[in-house]
Amino acid sequence: MRRVSAGRLGEKLAPYVLLAPFLFTLIVFFGYAFVRVVYFSFTNYDLFSKPEWVGLRNYLNIFRDPEFTRAMKNSLTFMVVVTAAQTMIALLLALFLNRKMRGIKFFRAAYYMPSVASSVVVTLIFIWFFQRRGVLNYVITRFQEYQVILALFVLLAAALQFVLVAWEKLRRRPVAIFEPSFLLLSLLVSFMIVFGLVRFGFILPREVAPVDIIWFNTTKTWPDFFGALAFPIPLGAIMLFNIWTTAPTFMLLYLAGLQDIPGELYEAAAVDGAEGWHMFWKITVPQLKPITFLVVTMGLIGTLQMFDQVAILGSQAPRSSTITLAYYIYTNLFPSSASPRVGMASAAAMFLALLTLVIVYAQRKVLGGENDA
Amino acid sequence: MKRFCLALVMVLLVTSAAAAQQIRIGGHGGNDTIIVEEMIELFVRPALEGTGITVQYEPVADDYQRFIVNALSAGTAPDLFYMDIFWAGSLIRSGAVEPLNDYLEKSTVLKAEDFIPSLVDAFTVDGQVYGIPKDFNTLALFYNKDLFDYAGVEYPSNDDTWDTLYEKLEKVASIDPDIYGLALQPEFARFGALAYAAGFTPFNAEGKTDLSDPAFVDAFKWYTGMAETGVGVMPADISQGWGGGALASEQVAAALEGAWIIGALKGDAPNLQYGATLMPKHPETGQRGNLIFTVAWGMNAASPNKDAAFRVLEILTSEEVQQWVLERGLAIPSREALADNPYFQQDHAEAHANHVVFLGASDGNVLPYSFGTYGGDWMQPIDQALAAVMSKQATVEEALQQAQAQLDALMGR
Repeated sequence: MRRVSAGRLGEKLAPYVLLAPFLFTLIVFFGYAFVRVVYFSFTNYDLFSKPEWVGLRNYLNIFRDPEFTRAMKNSLTFMVVVTAAQTMIALLLALFLNRKMRGIKFFRAAYYMPSVASSVVVTLIFIWFFQRRGVLNYVITRFQEYQVILALFVLLAAALQFVLVAWEKLRRRPVAIFEPSFLLLSLLVSFMIVFGLVRFGFILPREVAPVDIIWFNTTKTWPDFFGALAFPIPLGAIMLFNIWTTAPTFMLLYLAGLQDIPGELYEAAAVDGAEGWHMFWKITVPQLKPITFLVVTMGLIGTLQMFDQVAILGSQAPRSSTITLAYYIYTNLFPSSASPRVGMASAAAMFLALLTLVIVYAQRKVLGGENDA
Repeated sequence: MKRFCLALVMVLLVTSAAAAQQIRIGGHGGNDTIIVEEMIELFVRPALEGTGITVQYEPVADDYQRFIVNALSAGTAPDLFYMDIFWAGSLIRSGAVEPLNDYLEKSTVLKAEDFIPSLVDAFTVDGQVYGIPKDFNTLALFYNKDLFDYAGVEYPSNDDTWDTLYEKLEKVASIDPDIYGLALQPEFARFGALAYAAGFTPFNAEGKTDLSDPAFVDAFKWYTGMAETGVGVMPADISQGWGGGALASEQVAAALEGAWIIGALKGDAPNLQYGATLMPKHPETGQRGNLIFTVAWGMNAASPNKDAAFRVLEILTSEEVQQWVLERGLAIPSREALADNPYFQQDHAEAHANHVVFLGASDGNVLPYSFGTYGGDWMQPIDQALAAVMSKQATVEEALQQAQAQLDALMGR
């Protein structure tokens, strides 16, 4: 008898025992910390003297702080632009890498590299990219110099391809517009002609002043016609970079999703006479809806919590041009040479948590969760 | 079982008794680790023999300020620790740093009067001394002798005013379009010394900052004007991170830096023939300006072994330790008695440069490198204004107006 009940008890306890390590860390590092933050957000506290209850004053103060408003604007712009761009790029990359071709594994690994590398290290490299005399400005300068020549090369290749395809079509032979052998031939011939022209001085690279875009140390905003909605250029640089590092992770999710779509759907559609574009909108996109929901949700949360790249960029860019909500919290908790403002930081952290919750919930309403996919 | 428990208790007692006398010292990582460890080995351990006090150095590799704020509030801080003048004020006001007056009164070897007054003052709040300065730095004009020789221009000297220095730098800069006169960091930490020379003070009588002060505008125009005429260049524009890097690249003839540049030049440009001279005088006020960068030893108010910690502090700030540090060319001593040290009279560039930096602390309008409770937030608008003007994104007037608005917002907060 006893043995049986002990066994039952053990059975009942087992899941809790197995969950215990995780629950422990959750309660200590999340639950306890969360309760403390809620409490601190209503107090005036500098880490040393006793917290002093001030009611809602911290919440009022953060909204009066122009730096907070700027941080919120930066965070929201960052969220919209980066989430939209990384979702689209991830999908495109996944579509491209889902094809069967030689060496696809290499490309999959190569495209995934930016996400594997440490964010801190990559950010340091990226800072050098965006220097005034850095790689990016250099590449843009070169591009402007050779703009005409490049355009000529592309036009010539297109013309050659057109002539070759038209010739074949005239002779009533089946031929695709991008027939690979013709493409290779036209590119090669076009290259030789343009190279010859440049070599013998018929056309020369344009003389242009070196591009001198200041990416970091500037308070300028872009694009001009957006008025108050324009974002600071340094934030734009971080956006570019952040999209580049996060898109591959989401690409992986999309790739897994694509491989789950049954091939019969496409076959049936092909039988019904559907074209590529139609198949994409009517089959691929709806089938990927749960993945899109996941990607967008993770994107929203990740972008709202954007911190590391802003922190590493540090004093290279004016704070008002890069500050995000997460960084605002940090600067209040550890202000340079002033006493920590734990109350303000906690209030801002509570606000950020609430904002994230609301946005993700709204997104769920709009996109719909996995259930109704 | 009982015996085992007893033995365990004994062991615990013995170890805790020993630990009670262990003094933990917190400081920067990197080079400091080697220096302090060696200092402890050579001076502290022998002097403490037989007292039962042991010493352990705990270097912090990065973001030392955040470490010490966290450690002090959590009660895990070392007994003695570095305290930078830049943020010492807020730490002292928090009550986490032990006032040292009582200890200094009792001490026979350590007296606040033996230290350079401006350094001790920087760590004194309401008459209480909270930190014993361990060393300090000021700015000096470091120049590349070869470039001046090549251009046939006289070296910068202590008699130079802004005008005569400008002429010299202009001549050197005219050698080649890729050679510049002065490295112009867009930072108050360099430019500030010039503003002080012109008579600017960070906070006026009402405690506000006024960037429209003619002295400030004068210095601002002189400094940023050099970027416009090509006499100077921002280090970032020649792919260098700071003035020392720019000087080491030999593309720039001079830089305003402290004695920390000496070690960097030794590593990056060992064959560079350099000299150092005092900061140039303002042509009208005839004054030099300078910033004092200093780090002190502070004591943890919650330390369980304060007397032992003070004993260690006495050794760390003693004359022989400072002499040793100076002779190694590591830092400039904070003790006044070491001013006439024979080391400073030696005939080599390093000793000479150290002497110039030492003299910088007591010549003209010298202010500590700290900005009340605002700290880095106070400097940021000015740094931005400097960068905006020197990268031609704004005119002097626009930039200063914007900086003033930001400062007003900061101080109104």
